[in-house]
Amino acid sequence: MPRMQTKCFDEVEYAPDATFEFSSGIPGFETEHTFVFLQRPATHPLMFMQSVSRKDVCFILLPVLAVDRHYELRLSDEDLAALHLPAASRPDMGKDILCAVMVCAAGNDRPQPTANLYGPIVVNLKERIGIQAIQTGYSPRHPLTSQEHPEEVKACL
Amino acid sequence: MLVMRRRAGESILIDDAIEIQVLEVLGTRVKLGIVAPESVLIQRKEVKITRDENITAARSFEHQDIPLLLSKVSSRAVSADVKNLTDVFTLTTKST
Repeated sequence: MPRMQTKCFDEVEYAPDATFEFSSGIPGFETEHTFVFLQRPATHPLMFMQSVSRKDVCFILLPVLAVDRHYELRLSDEDLAALHLPAASRPDMGKDILCAVMVCAAGNDRPQPTANLYGPIVVNLKERIGIQAIQTGYSPRHPLTSQEHPEEVKACL
Repeated sequence: MLVMRRRAGESILIDDAIEIQVLEVLGTRVKLGIVAPESVLIQRKEVKITRDENITAARSFEHQDIPLLLSKVSSRAVSADVKNLTDVFTLTTKST
């Protein structure tokens, strides 16, 4: 099994068929085409979208519905084509596709962590390909506050 | 902000070097043609916003920041539909 260096978990062994292809890369990282999604019990529910070829290129993701459970993903025909899905189709979230959003840690420009609802990562689980599908109606810096609607989060258990 | 009304076939000039032509107006969409020197970077604003945010997100954390980040998000972690949604086993490598 091939091995790769990761930003957060040192060296990791991965199955060759566990990779996802982003044929155009994503904006800012156009040369990175192959990613693996890593998840560990200790860091649940965070997912780590790690480039296979560059250790330092790693994104922390959360399932979009964990951030906004009313989130509505809109895929254009161009997005669907890039995901090898039929035009005008409505893929089933969780079954056909996975939608997750990048988390940005707090820093000089933001007092608390944020989630990028504007540019979700969408992958076709069967074809194992992915894109970043821009959603202009959502914020690229949605604040992640742990006190936000705790009752609502409990209610969907 | 300067606001101008233009019809299809009309143009706007920015300095002498940049011309923005309105090629077609169809429903809610406008097709623009842009003539500019090669040194001028032209991009969709969505892509610029996404690129900046991607780069910031990738640089925003190091390994040791993860526990703090986790403490901020853990309360939203536990819902059952999240588990269904991610279907973690299709994604996770069996790393130890």
